[in-house]
Amino acid sequence: MNTKKVSLLQAIWIWLGEQTDKIILWIYAMFFALMIAVFVSFKTRQRMSHNNGIAGEGWLKIVDAPEFPEHPFFEKGKQYPVRIRHASATYLDDAMNCIRSISIKFSHHHWHSPFDIEMNTGAQSLFWNAVSFLKFGSMRKEQYGIEYVEYLRRYPDGVDGTKGAVRRDPTSFHNLHYYSKTPFLFLGTDGIKRYAKYRVLPLENEEQTGVEHRFSEFDLCNQRVLPFDPRGRNYLKYEYEDRVKKQGAKYRLQIQLHTASDDDDPEVFNNMVLWDERSHPWHDVAHFHIEKTLDWKQSTMTTFSVNNMPKTLGVLPAKSIYDYNSLNYLRAHSEIARKARMLSYKVFGMVPPIPDNDNRNVSGWGE
Amino acid sequence: MENPTPESVCEECLKKTKIHYREDGRFFMPRLLSINHLQLGNSKILHNPLVLIVEWLYRQYKHLRDAWKRFIAWLFPRPTKVWCHHADSALVGQIHYADRDNLNTPIHNLRVEFWGRTRWLQWRKLADGYSDDEGKFSLQFELREARNWKIYKTQFEVYQTTHVYFESEKPKVALECCYVEQVPVSNLTGMRYNLRTIHLHLWEYRRDTPVPRTEIKNVDNDSPQYYAQGRLDALFEQITPLEVTKAKHLLQIEQAPETISLAQIQSDYPENLTVCIERKLPGYTRSDEWFGRRMMNGMNRGTFLPDKENHNMFWVKYFGVCNYEHNDEYALPTVEIKFALKENGLPTPTEIHITGQTNAFDKNPWQKKVFTPANGEEWLYAKRIARVNGAFSTEVDEHFTGTHLNTEQYAIAAYRNFRRSPLACLLFPHLKEVALVNHSADTLLIHGYIPSATALTENGLHQRCYELLGMQDWKNWKPMKPLSEAHTCAKAEKMFWDLTIDYVEKFFAENLEEIKHHWIEVYRFSQDLVNHAVPVFLSSIDWGKLSPEEKQLANDRIEYYTYQYSFDTSAKRETVNGELKVVSPITTSRTFEESPPEDMQNLKHVCAYAIMMATYMHTWINEHQYDDLGEVLYSSGGLRYGNKERGILAPESDLSISPDLTRSTQMLWFTNFLSRTEYGFITKNEEGDVNPLFSKMLLDRKEEFAKLGVDVNAIESRTNI
Ligand code: HEM
Ligand SMILES: [Fe+2]
Repeated sequence: MNTKKVSLLQAIWIWLGEQTDKIILWIYAMFFALMIAVFVSFKTRQRMSHNNGIAGEGWLKIVDAPEFPEHPFFEKGKQYPVRIRHASATYLDDAMNCIRSISIKFSHHHWHSPFDIEMNTGAQSLFWNAVSFLKFGSMRKEQYGIEYVEYLRRYPDGVDGTKGAVRRDPTSFHNLHYYSKTPFLFLGTDGIKRYAKYRVLPLENEEQTGVEHRFSEFDLCNQRVLPFDPRGRNYLKYEYEDRVKKQGAKYRLQIQLHTASDDDDPEVFNNMVLWDERSHPWHDVAHFHIEKTLDWKQSTMTTFSVNNMPKTLGVLPAKSIYDYNSLNYLRAHSEIARKARMLSYKVFGMVPPIPDNDNRNVSGWGE
Repeated sequence: MENPTPESVCEECLKKTKIHYREDGRFFMPRLLSINHLQLGNSKILHNPLVLIVEWLYRQYKHLRDAWKRFIAWLFPRPTKVWCHHADSALVGQIHYADRDNLNTPIHNLRVEFWGRTRWLQWRKLADGYSDDEGKFSLQFELREARNWKIYKTQFEVYQTTHVYFESEKPKVALECCYVEQVPVSNLTGMRYNLRTIHLHLWEYRRDTPVPRTEIKNVDNDSPQYYAQGRLDALFEQITPLEVTKAKHLLQIEQAPETISLAQIQSDYPENLTVCIERKLPGYTRSDEWFGRRMMNGMNRGTFLPDKENHNMFWVKYFGVCNYEHNDEYALPTVEIKFALKENGLPTPTEIHITGQTNAFDKNPWQKKVFTPANGEEWLYAKRIARVNGAFSTEVDEHFTGTHLNTEQYAIAAYRNFRRSPLACLLFPHLKEVALVNHSADTLLIHGYIPSATALTENGLHQRCYELLGMQDWKNWKPMKPLSEAHTCAKAEKMFWDLTIDYVEKFFAENLEEIKHHWIEVYRFSQDLVNHAVPVFLSSIDWGKLSPEEKQLANDRIEYYTYQYSFDTSAKRETVNGELKVVSPITTSRTFEESPPEDMQNLKHVCAYAIMMATYMHTWINEHQYDDLGEVLYSSGGLRYGNKERGILAPESDLSISPDLTRSTQMLWFTNFLSRTEYGFITKNEEGDVNPLFSKMLLDRKEEFAKLGVDVNAIESRTNI
C-alpha cells in the first residue's frame, strides 16, 4: 500500500478546501432556492416542475413480515394515514410525452408529515449533482413542447435517463413504476449504516404502460401530443378520479438497501447508476390503498419535502457541488420555494384548474 | 585518348553528366516563391532587388515566428503527466471523415487528448487515449481536476501522424494537432460529456476523378501533407538557374525570334549523356548498338516479350494513340520493335513496325509500315520514332502511372489507416510527398506541358493513365527477368527487390505482435485500396462493339502489359459497384486471428511492392530522364507531322517535325529539373526518416549495385519529383 504522510500544513490546507467546498455548495443551494422561490413559486404560483397533478388519500400499512432490517419507523404491521399526489412534469397536458410522478406523505395533512417521499418514473435520473442539475435547468429552453435539445445533445446520460423516464399516453397513473432515484440514509435498530432507495409499484402485477422503446435523440426532445391523438389535456387525472371512485388504487412501497462502508465507490450515491438488483434486492416496505381523490385546490396545496423524514431516514450529507448527494442537499434547502408558493396563493389566490381546451403542448395555463 | 571505344566514352560521359549538388546562397540570387509557382511559361521568379529585400524580410519574419513558437513551447510545455487519480467523468464522441461520401465513415486510432490550462497558462493533461475501431472515443478524466479553480479553460485535441523519424535506430511517430475544440469548463458536470461527431478532413479521396487521388485544397496551407523545408530549398537551389535559362529563351522567342535556334537552346542547358557521347563519337548514339543498349538498360527499361515462334527474338512495344483523345499536331503511332539478342547479351533491332498515322494527311489508324536496317535512311527515322514513342510510353505509362499514380494510391490508403500499427513506420518514409508532387504534376504536366508537346490531349492522358493504372497490382508482382548477363537493368531491379523483401521481412519479424494487434488498420487499408482502385485494364469494355482491328489491338495490349507489369490475371479480385477492382485485397478479416495465413504474406508483399514502386522503380526513370530525354533531336515527347507528305519519316534536320522552340526549352527545362532536383535519398537520409537498417542493407551491396551501373546513393527514398 502506498501511504502518503500528510503534514500539518497540508492537513490544514485540505480542511480549508473542504470548508470552501461546503460554503460554495451552501451558496449554490441558497441562490437556487431563492430564485425558484421568487421567480417561480411566488411569481407564477407554480411548482418548479410537477404542476399538473391530482392528489388522493387513504391508508398505508407496513408489511407484516418485513424482509429488510428492522427500523422503528417501519415497524411491522404499523398503519399510517397517507396522502399521495400523482403528477406529470412539467407540462399542463396529460397527452404529452412526460415524466410522471407519485409523491407520498404519511399523513392526511397537505404540509405536515413524519415521512415524505417523491418519486418519478424511470429508474435513472436525468442529472446527477448540483452543477449538473443547474446545467439541466439552464439548458431547458422549452418552446412549443420541445425542450432540452441542447442538454440532450451534450449529455448522453441525460439521454439514457430521459428514455427510461418519459411515459407517453399511459393508460393510468396507477400502473406506472416510480423511483426515488437518489439514496437516503437508513439507520435501523441494529445501528448499521445503510443507504436506501425507494420505489412504488401497483400492488397487483400489472403491465406498465406508456413506455417507448424506439426513439432517436431528436424526437426525445419533442414531447408534443402526437398528431390525431384524441386524448384531452386532463385525461390521466380523470381516469385516476374514476378509477379511485370505482375501485380505489392499491400500491406497494419498496426499499432497496446498500450497507455502507468507508471505502464505498462514490458511484454508490450516483442516481444515474443503479444498484444491482441481484445483490441489492427490492423488499416490500408497505402496501397502501387510496380511497378518494382530492379536488384541484386540495391537490395543488399538497406539497412534499425531503426534510419530512425521521433523522435516521433522512438526506445524506454532501461535500460539494460535485458530490452526487448534493442533489438532495439542494432539495433539502429549497423549503423557501414551497413556502413562497403557499404564500402566493394567499396573496394572489389559487391557480385555476387546467381547462379542457385545445391549447395544447403548453407549460402554462395559456389563453 | 586516341581510340575511344564506345564503352570508355559512355563511361566518361556518364561521369561527366552525373548530377552534382552545389550550394549557392548568394543574397541577390533570383529566387522562387514556392513550388506551386513553377510554371511552364515564366515562373514567378523574383529579380527586383527591392522585392528580394522584402522577400528576405519575410523569411526573417518566418524565422522569428518559428523561434517564437519554440519559445512558447518551451515556456508552456506540455508535460506527459496525467492529472487524474480517480476517473469519474468522460469526454465522449466520435470522429468521422468530413467529405460528403464518408460522413459515416469512422476514423480509427486517432490520438485524442484532453488538456486544461491553468490561470498562469501552464498546461495540464487531463486525459489521453485513442479513437476506437468505430471512431468513438471516451476520455476518462477526473471532474475535480478539470474543474479545479486553477484551470480556466479546457480543450479537446486530436492528433494525426505527420511523419516518421528515427532516433537512435528506433522509429518515432511525429504527431500534429489537427483539431482543437474548447470545452467550456462549466459544461463539465460529471458523467459523460458528448463532443458528438467530429468531422475531419484527413486524407480524403478526390471526388472529381475515378483515379484514387488525394484531395488537396491548397498545397500551401490546406493540404494533408507539406514538403519539408529542406526539400523545397534543394529544389530552389537547383531550379533557379534552369528557370533563368528558360525565361531567357521564352523572352527571345517572343521578342527576337531571329536570335535563337534549337541548337542554341540545346547548348544553353547542361550537356546530357547523348550530346556528350555524340560529341566524342559522332553517330554512335544513332547506331543500332546504342539503340539496343538504351532500350534495354536506359530510361525505358524495355520489356522484351519473347517472340511466339522464335525464342531468340523479342518484341518491345510502344502503343500509340490507340483510342485516346488526341490532337492533329503530333504523331503517336504504335511502334513494335523486333530485337535479336547478340552474343554479348545486348539486343539489336531487326525490324520496326509502325502502325498508325505518320503524316498529316492519311488518317487511317491501321496503316502499317515495316522497316529493317536495309531501309537505310528510313531505318534511322523509324528508330527515332521508336525512341520518341518509347519516351512517351515510359513517361506516361511507366513513370507517371506506374510509379507516381500507383504509389499515391498506397500513400493515401496508408495515411488514412496506419496510425498505431508499426506499418506507419515502415511505409510513411517511402510514401510521403507523392500526393504533393502528383498534385503539381496535374497542372504542370498533365494540364500543361504534355498535351502541348505530345499527341494526347489532357482528356486522352487522363483516360490513358486511368486505364493503365488498371494493370498495376501488388499481387504476385515480380521484377523483370534478366534476359542475359548484359541485362543489368533487370539484374539491379531484382537485386533491389530481393533486398526490399529482405528488409520487409526483418521489419515484420521485429514488429510482428504489434502488427497483428492493430490488424484492423490493415483491414481498412486493404478496403480503401480495393474500393478506390480503378477497374482492371479493359475489364469493362464491350468487346462486341470492337472492330476486328480494335479487338486485335486490345488483345495485344493486354498480352504485352500483363507481361510488362507482371500482372497476375488469375489473382482473385473483388468486384465493387460492378467494377472488377485491379488492386487485390490484402485481407478480408478484421482481426488477425480470423485471417488465413496467406494474408500476412500478402501484407508483406504489398509493403515491399509499395516501397519498390516509390523508391527504386521511380528513381530509375526519373534519374535517367536527362540521359535519354536531354537532347531534343535525339528524342522527345512527340514528333510533329509537319506539312510534308513524308510526315515524321524525315531526318533530324527537318525541324518542322521536331518540337518547336518553346516546347524544346520547356522539355529540357523539365527533364533537367525532374532529374536534377532530387532530394531525399535512402542512404543520405536527409530527413532522418529512413530506417537505418534499410540504408545499411543497401550500402552493404554498394559494390554489387555499382557493377550493374547503379549508384546506391542516388536511389530516392520516396517519389517526390
Ligand atoms: C432525482 C431527484 C428528484 C426527484 C425524484 C424529484 C421528484 C419530485 C417530485 C415528484 C415533485 C413533485 C411533488 C409534488 O407532487 O408536489 C418534485 C417537486 C419539486 N422538486 Fe424535485 N425531485 C428531485 C430532485 C430535485 C432537486 C435536485 C431539486 C432542487 C432544489 C428539486 C426541487 C423541487 C421543488 C422545488 C419542487 C416543488 C415543490 C413544491 O413547490 O411543492 N427536486 N420533485
Ligand atoms: Fe517522377
